[in-house]
Amino acid sequence: MTDPEIGRARASSVGHVPAARERAPYLVAFAVLVALTLVEIGVVKSGGIPHRAAVVALIAIATAKAALIALFYMHLRYETRILKLTVLAPLVAPAVYGLLLMLDAAWRHMR
Amino acid sequence: MWIFLLSDAFSFGALLIAEGILYAGHKPWRQPGEPELGIGFTAVLTFILLCTSLTNVLAWAAAAGGRRKQAAQLLAITALGGAVFLVGQFQEWFGIWAPGLLHEGLVFGQSPRASTFFVITGYHGLHVLIGVAYILAILVGYVRGRVTERQIELLGLYWCFVDFVWVFVFSFVYLLPSLSGA
Repeated sequence: MTDPEIGRARASSVGHVPAARERAPYLVAFAVLVALTLVEIGVVKSGGIPHRAAVVALIAIATAKAALIALFYMHLRYETRILKLTVLAPLVAPAVYGLLLMLDAAWRHMR
Repeated sequence: MWIFLLSDAFSFGALLIAEGILYAGHKPWRQPGEPELGIGFTAVLTFILLCTSLTNVLAWAAAAGGRRKQAAQLLAITALGGAVFLVGQFQEWFGIWAPGLLHEGLVFGQSPRASTFFVITGYHGLHVLIGVAYILAILVGYVRGRVTERQIELLGLYWCFVDFVWVFVFSFVYLLPSLSGA
């Protein structure tokens, strides 16, 4: 990493990025977030979707929504690679633990 | 701010994992006499929170573009949205215009479902409350000319994190258990 990149990572501000000041990406992200929330409600209320598929769908939608918020509203997409890794890498641990928990619960359920 | 948010994310992660462990070990999750959670009502609260994330980031964009009045107005709307969310959560717990969950039989300490519900939504609600106070403090400072665009950006990180966490709270506390009729 170059010195200016280190400097930007320390400052962690995207005020210097012109694209970050445009309103359109935020409005599009908002529309997608609302649509995904409606899909979530539909998955729960429809009742016709197999249980496992509904669980996978809800977790996938939640992850997609969280990623949208982090990338657009929290400006992670405009940040340096080192900051992205600093934020994303530790979040893998609880995600893996949660996955193991679900696999364990599924295994116990099948026994 | 990012390091603080990461540590905070771990605390929420721990609470949600604890809920998952309890959920896996307690069948049925919803005890007899306990009410269903109002998914429709909570979806409205979710929409409000999403709106505040948008207004918050637009406030920053306005501040970065030198549109001070618009930035102040958007910050005020964000704070108002946060306050409405809190009123909604108060209604859900205690009841204002309709009976709350406590009145309907979801009592803290009486079941893992009730305890995890109140701890997780309460912890999140505390973040919203602090966030509203944070927004108002930044708004007052901005109007007086003591706050910069950079501080609004940091506020935005915190506030959108509250929304980020709510996405998982909504899914793991409200939606996923309801698939099993809880």
